[in-house]
Order: sequence, then structure tokens, then C-alpha cells
Amino acid sequence: MLKNILRWRTGQFILNGAVVSPVSTARGLCNPFKSNTNTVIGEPEQKSEANRKPVNPFALSRSTPLPDNTVVETQEERDKRLKVLQLEADIAHQEGRRVPALDFFQEHHWSHVLTLPSKSARIKYYAFLWQIQMKKKSDKEKKALRADATEQRIADLRKQREENTHIIYGLAHTSMFLRIYDTTINHWLNNRLTRSMQFAPKMVLDCSYDASMNNRESSNAAKQLMLCFAENRAHDEPFDLHYCNTNFEGRCMQYLKRYIPTMLSPEFPMNVHTKCFTELFPKEQLVYLTPHCREDLKTYNPDDIYIVGAMVDTVNNDPLSLAKAKRLGLRMARLPLDRYLQWGSGSGKSLTLNQMINIMLDLKKTGDWNAALQHVPRRKVIDLATQQADNRQALNKRANKLNVRIDHLLKYEDNRREATAFGTPQKLRQGKEGMNFNLDSWATGKKKTSRSS
Amino acid sequence: MYNFRLLRQLRLGGITQATATRLTQAPTCRRLLASHHKRRPQLGAVQSDQLQQLKTDYFEHRRELSNEEWQRVRQTLTDSYKYINSSNVDAVILGLCSTAEQLPLAKSYLGYLQAERIEPNAATLGRLLRVYNAAHHTRALSDAEQSEIVHICDAVQGAHETLDASSCEHLIHGLVATNHHWQRALPLLEMMKVTSTPSVAAYSALAAKAFSVAQPELAWRLLEEMLLARKLPKCEVYLAHLAHSAQNASTLVANLEQLLQFLERHDILISDLVAQQLMALAQRMPQQFQVASTRLDRMGKCTACQQHLQHVAISDAQFAELHESFLAKVLIRNDVFQKSTPEEVARFKQYVEQTAPYDCVIDGLNVAYSTGNKKPPQQLAKLLATVVRYFKERRKRVLVLGRQHMRNWSKPVWQYIQSNASVFLTNNLSHDDPFLLYATLRSGQETDFFSRDLMRSHAFLLGGDLKAVFRRWQQEHQYSLVTQTQTGQIIVKEPIRHRLSAHKVNNVWHVPCCDTYMTQPPDSFEVPEKWLCLTIT
Repeated sequence: MLKNILRWRTGQFILNGAVVSPVSTARGLCNPFKSNTNTVIGEPEQKSEANRKPVNPFALSRSTPLPDNTVVETQEERDKRLKVLQLEADIAHQEGRRVPALDFFQEHHWSHVLTLPSKSARIKYYAFLWQIQMKKKSDKEKKALRADATEQRIADLRKQREENTHIIYGLAHTSMFLRIYDTTINHWLNNRLTRSMQFAPKMVLDCSYDASMNNRESSNAAKQLMLCFAENRAHDEPFDLHYCNTNFEGRCMQYLKRYIPTMLSPEFPMNVHTKCFTELFPKEQLVYLTPHCREDLKTYNPDDIYIVGAMVDTVNNDPLSLAKAKRLGLRMARLPLDRYLQWGSGSGKSLTLNQMINIMLDLKKTGDWNAALQHVPRRKVIDLATQQADNRQALNKRANKLNVRIDHLLKYEDNRREATAFGTPQKLRQGKEGMNFNLDSWATGKKKTSRSS
Repeated sequence: MYNFRLLRQLRLGGITQATATRLTQAPTCRRLLASHHKRRPQLGAVQSDQLQQLKTDYFEHRRELSNEEWQRVRQTLTDSYKYINSSNVDAVILGLCSTAEQLPLAKSYLGYLQAERIEPNAATLGRLLRVYNAAHHTRALSDAEQSEIVHICDAVQGAHETLDASSCEHLIHGLVATNHHWQRALPLLEMMKVTSTPSVAAYSALAAKAFSVAQPELAWRLLEEMLLARKLPKCEVYLAHLAHSAQNASTLVANLEQLLQFLERHDILISDLVAQQLMALAQRMPQQFQVASTRLDRMGKCTACQQHLQHVAISDAQFAELHESFLAKVLIRNDVFQKSTPEEVARFKQYVEQTAPYDCVIDGLNVAYSTGNKKPPQQLAKLLATVVRYFKERRKRVLVLGRQHMRNWSKPVWQYIQSNASVFLTNNLSHDDPFLLYATLRSGQETDFFSRDLMRSHAFLLGGDLKAVFRRWQQEHQYSLVTQTQTGQIIVKEPIRHRLSAHKVNNVWHVPCCDTYMTQPPDSFEVPEKWLCLTIT
């Protein structure tokens, strides 16, 4: 049994590395009960793909290569592990934990489960699937509840239409509005995009961070990249957007291809490069936008080409974009968020990729940071008045706790009895010198000097 | 008077606080951990307080329920809770009667299931085994019960070739409750390793059983394995060991020594329960060893035997290993550009070669910002200068680390600092903490450093064994600034120079204790308050 762990862990390297395409592994892993003609699934494919993959000289080092003496996990061992994991899920479901029933699981679920490194990761994934299942169930129940009301409503509408002898005015019936199809709009937008490719300033999205993101982050990044493209295209003055350092065996690009299937076709106006941006554009024009540096971006310069790192860094906090810009010797800048916005204490200062592109688009169009930074979500920003009130309260609380008034205690070591935390010992009526009452000189009209009193 | 108490604590020496934490709270209350917040109840999990009503209705003081009552219980659970359905209600019910006194209830439920011809699923049987385990701690199980346990284990193991981790854990708990069949639990532990590292409960149950049936080698092997996987043994293991050692007077001392050396090797704190058991044992056998509960005074002297505790210094070999691997593991890692640049690292190394050795290395930015973030730069510079003066008065050589922008702080103050200390300024983008630690390590075992930072990320990056070595070195050498008073005098916290784990001083063992057992004790910087002073004759 112990042997299996080693093989399982090294199998994990293969499964998690960027070399393997998830599609081929899913094909092989999915159903252990179906007889598989290509039993040795991905191995020959993996090796040929590794040889064909273009080597990117600017890519950061990937996962460490396997040591020579490890053996790749065979199909039977994978099957055995799959069976045990299915048993684990079954028992957990019987205990009432947050795991869906076995019939909910599909093949791609199991292939993902097999790649997870630890039991707690599996538990979290099962909890995620359980939530999906519960949501579906409750949606179905709500729909069943509403079914009757819906049927009634449709029957009424039909009756009304039959009884109506006049023309029906409405969007699907008679109207003066011409129906404009999605494809028309798409063609029009693509046309504007091709014009912007000729004349507009360029912007680069650096997609080389696949190795430092896990599965969930890669899929989030892919969705944000798709939104970048869409929102850029829909804007009045689009950028000429370039996706550089793309790696089509990586998860991020695979997910992006699912969002935009025609991404790589030549007539689609999307610039996708596997090369690095330093090979495409001159270095003096490049500015890397990274949150880890110190200089703010003050004004937008249309001659500069701005680079945004396409990374979702929820898990990994390392300043990878900073490191890359330093290594390549590029100029760096960050958005002047502190200068124009008051950040609330809630969420951190991270912005999604499409928010970045929107900010830069509006900055280019208006030149005004306040207008551009409207794209930062309002929940991250706090308005001035409430924040001032909060600050004042917090300062007062802290001041009362932290005031360390102990100087007098340090000096009055001998008079410990007399020293208190709030004052030093004073002679009685110290402040009232020269005001002592003296019966002899009272009401005599003579001014007594202090010596005789 | 809060502030006076604070001063008295500091000066008269009952320092119980951390080496480098802020003393902003009252000294008597425990420092709250970051994970000490209340967790929001998870979706789907049935709240234990909701079930309390059910428990009081049906289960209080009952030894068995009739079939109709069980039917009603089942119905209530399935109807009132959205996430309980027919497939998991059995396991939920058995989870409700999980304490030792409720074993008859559990059995009656299984009888009901049998009567209704419902086949109990594997999870239900596993939970039943847990109830048996809980019962066996209070009384010995009868032969019929033990044979039922074995029967269940056979059934579950026969159904599947490889079992998952939670089933294995249930079976281990069940087999440990028997007298003659607990050996079968060992291959189950190996089976657990296929899917995950075995849990603390499984290891602890097996080790405790091994101690109680006089197989200490197996038990110690399991414990070492457990600690390799970074899991702390539960109290029951130590209690079983003590109970078993008490039976044999001749080997008592040897067993005790083995236990104490184990605690020393792994820096374990024993809980109050175990400490009380130790003291009770000592009272029963006064001629073998004596135990006294004690405290430490400020200079690391035990108040019971009046001896000073051992110095915390790490060995030369460990220090050399720490020094060599530090730069690679913490600063450079995969990519030197993340924390600095290659030129800067080279420049720093050269500077340190020229100006080493130092008596103290000061983290300039950490010290300057100690009293607050939003102070004017002159005040920040003055605070730094005060710390430099503190060391100058004690005739120590000092290196100050900072960043380039600090040059723009007040010029005269900066003149003072530069004339009384060596200064190295990194780029504004670089992390200066690794430089601080590297300079201190490079200067040798006598050098201290001055910072309030807990250095958690650096300890983590060193990883594994080096982390423990680093923490000991850090405890020995870290000065920190407590606060600055109104007149500008500073209060400095000196490092604690004695060991904080179990160890022997002239044949007297000193063992630190904590209040309760915790599965993953956090990296706390608190000095243990309670100690045991053990003299073995």
C-alpha cells in the first residue's frame, strides 16, 4: 500500500503539470468500468506534446522535473485509488456530511478528484459539489411550486390573444422596431475592433502565470480574460489588445477556448501570441502595471504599451509580476488607488483583469482618474464621512489603552507610596504661594513681605 | 491601577509574556489567537443545540426505546431537517447516542433496525464501533460485545478490498476496544495511508492500547511516526503509559526517563491532566521519584529546586546548517527578483564581510514604526536614534538595516546614526527582513537582533526541522521594543535565554505544562507558566 503513495504523488506531478492536457487524461481516467482500448492513456501523448511545445525563454521555471527513479502510476493503480475514493465519498454521504450522493458524480468530477493532493482538499471539493446539488434541488422544488401559477398565466394570455380581434402590438408581433440580431452587433463590433487594431494604442495581457495558479484560479482568470476582450470590444474607443505568452496546453487557455471557440481562427479580431511581448514590442515602450511597486501611474501616455499580468492571485501572494518586470528591466507602475480612493477595511486592493482594462479604457478616453476609477467596485471603497467617524472612534479607544504615563514612576522610585499613576506628589496648596492667611497682618493695611509672613 | 501593574510586572520580573509580542492587553489575560473567532455555522450540518431538544425528549435517562418510539424519532429527524434523509438518518441517530452511558440505547436502535429488516450501512456500523470504544474506557466489554465488534469488522472488511480513511478509523477504534483482536488494527493503519495521513485519534488509540498491553516498542514506534507527520499525541497515550508503568516498580524509572526524553526531543508540552496524573503517581511511589509544581523566575531559575535552567543555545552544527541554507531558502528561493535583486545581494554580502562582526543588528523600519504608522519622519528617525543610543551606552557594535527612502528623514538624526552605527540601505522595493537575519547569522552565535517582527513567514520558508532550530535561535537572540514613554525613554524587552521545553538539569527534570491539549498548537510566543520539577532517585 505504501508503494501506492509514492506512485500516486508522482502521478500527481504529471497530472498537475502544464505539460498534460486535461482532455486526454479525462478520456483515459473517466470510466474505469468501461474497457479501455488505449490503456496506457496519456504517456505517449504527453511525451510528444512535451516535445512539440514551443519553449518560451521568458517563462518562469515550471514545476520541478521528476527524479529518474520514480515510476508512473499504472492504470490499475489509478482504478484502485478511484474505487477507494468513491467508497470514501459514499461513506461520508451515509454519515450525513456535505458530500453528494454517488449518482451525482460524473466522470470529469472523478478525474478532478484524483488530482487533488490531500483529504482536506477532497472534502472541500465534495462540499462544493454538494452545494451545487442542493441548489439544483431547491430550484426544482421552487419551479414545481410555481408550475401551477405559470400554467394559469399562460392559459390566460392565450385566451386573451384568441379573443382579441385587433392587431397585437408588441416586440414579437407588430412593432416599428427592427429586430437586430446578435450576429449583426457582433459583426459591427468586430469591424470597429479591426479598425482599432490599425490605429489604436496597444495593451498587453501577459498570460504566463499558469503554473502559479491552481485550477479554480485558472478558470477565474480565463473568464476574466474573456470579459476583457468583450468589454474592450464594446467600448467606444477600444485598445488593440494582445494576449502574449499564451500556452495552449495550460488550463487557463483551455478554459478560454471554451468561452471563445473561434479564438484562434485568423478572421477573428483577437491577437493571440505564444511569443513574449519583449519580442513583439520595443522595450522602451513597455510599462508593466504591478501592484507591488512604489511609483504611481500619474498620466496616461498613449505612446506607452501597458502590460497587465493575467494572474488571479488569491492563494499565491508572491510579487511575481514585480519579479518579472525587474528581471526584464522594464518600467513599472501601479494605479494611484490610494490617492484617489478611500479604501474600506473589507476586501483587499486586488482588482480583476476586466476592471483593469475598463479603468485604462476610461483613462484613455477622458484622462480623468476619478472617472476611470468608477470601475472599482463600490463595496471596496468607503466614503469619507463614515471613515472619518470610524477613525476617530478607533483612535480614542486605542489612546485610552496605550497611554503609558509612567515617567514619574520611573523617577519617584523611593516615593513609591506617594506616586500614583496619574500624578506626582505635590506639596499641599503648592499653587497658592503668597496667599497664606496671617492673623497679624490681616486688615492692617500694611503689605507684608514674604520673608516675614 | 492598570499602568502601575504593568510596570510592576516588567520590573519585578514575573515576565510571563512573549518574547516579541505587544503588551497592549492586561498581563493576566491570555493572548487571543487569530483563529479564536467564532465560526459561522456551516450549511447542512445539523446544529448540536437543535438536536439537544430531541435528546432531552427521547434520550434522557433512557436505556432503550420501543420500536414505535424509534420510528417516531426517525420520522421527526427526516421531516424537520432538510438535509437528513433515509440514507443518513441511521448514522445521525447513532451519532446522537455516542457517549459511554448510551451504549444500551445504541444497541436498542440496532435491534429496531433488525426488526424492520433495514440493513445498517457501513457508516452506521462504524459509528456503533465508536460507541463501543467510548464504553470500553469506562468498563470492560463483555465477550458477546467483543465478538460482535469482530463480526462487524469482518463484514466491513470483507465487502471492500481497500477501505477509506474514515472507515479504517472506525474499525481501529472498534478493535482497540477488544482484548485479543487489537493486532488487526495495525494493517488497518497502513491501509489508511493510501488515501490520507492517519488521524491523531487513530494513532493515539493504537498507541494507548499498545502501552496498556505491555508492548511499549510498538507504541514508541507509532508515536515517532506520528510526530514525523506533525501530529501531537493525545493525553490518553501518556495516561496509558503512566498507568502501565505504575504496575511495575522496577522498570518505572526507565519508563519515565523514556517518556521525558521523548517530550524533550519533540518540544511537547503536557496537559494539566497528565501533570496531575504524574503527581499522583509520585505520591504513591515517593522513594522512586518526587514531583513538585513550580514556576520560573525572571532569570530562569526554578523556584522549587533553585537551579538555573539550561541555556537555549543551539549546537554549532545546527547553527552552521541554519546559516548556510538561510539565504537560499528564504531570500533567493525560486526567484531572487521577488524579494531583491542579484546585485543587491552581492553588495550586501560584500558589506557584511567588511564590517562584521556586530553585537546587534537593528531592523530600522520595524523599530521606527513601532509606535505608530502615521508619525512625522523626524519622530521615526528619533526613535531609531534612541535605540542606537541604547546600545551605544552599553558599548555594543550595531548594524542598522533600512531602505533608501530613510535617507530623506531628518538629516541631523541621520548623522548621529551614521556616526554611531554601520548602516546598510536596500532598494525601496526589496524586503529587508531576510537581510537582517542573514547579517545576524553571519556574525556568529553571539549576535542579537532587534525587531518586533515574529518572523513567521521566514520560519515557514525554512521548513521542517530547520524551523524548530530557527525558533530556538530566535528566542535566544531577539530583542524587541516594548514602547516609548512620553519623555522619550524606551523600554526594551530582552530575549529569554533559557530553554522552554522539557530537559534535565543536574539529574532534575523540568517539564513545562499547558492548560489543555490542542491538536495543532499554534506558534505561540508565550512562556509556559506552569512547570513540573521532577527528581528521580
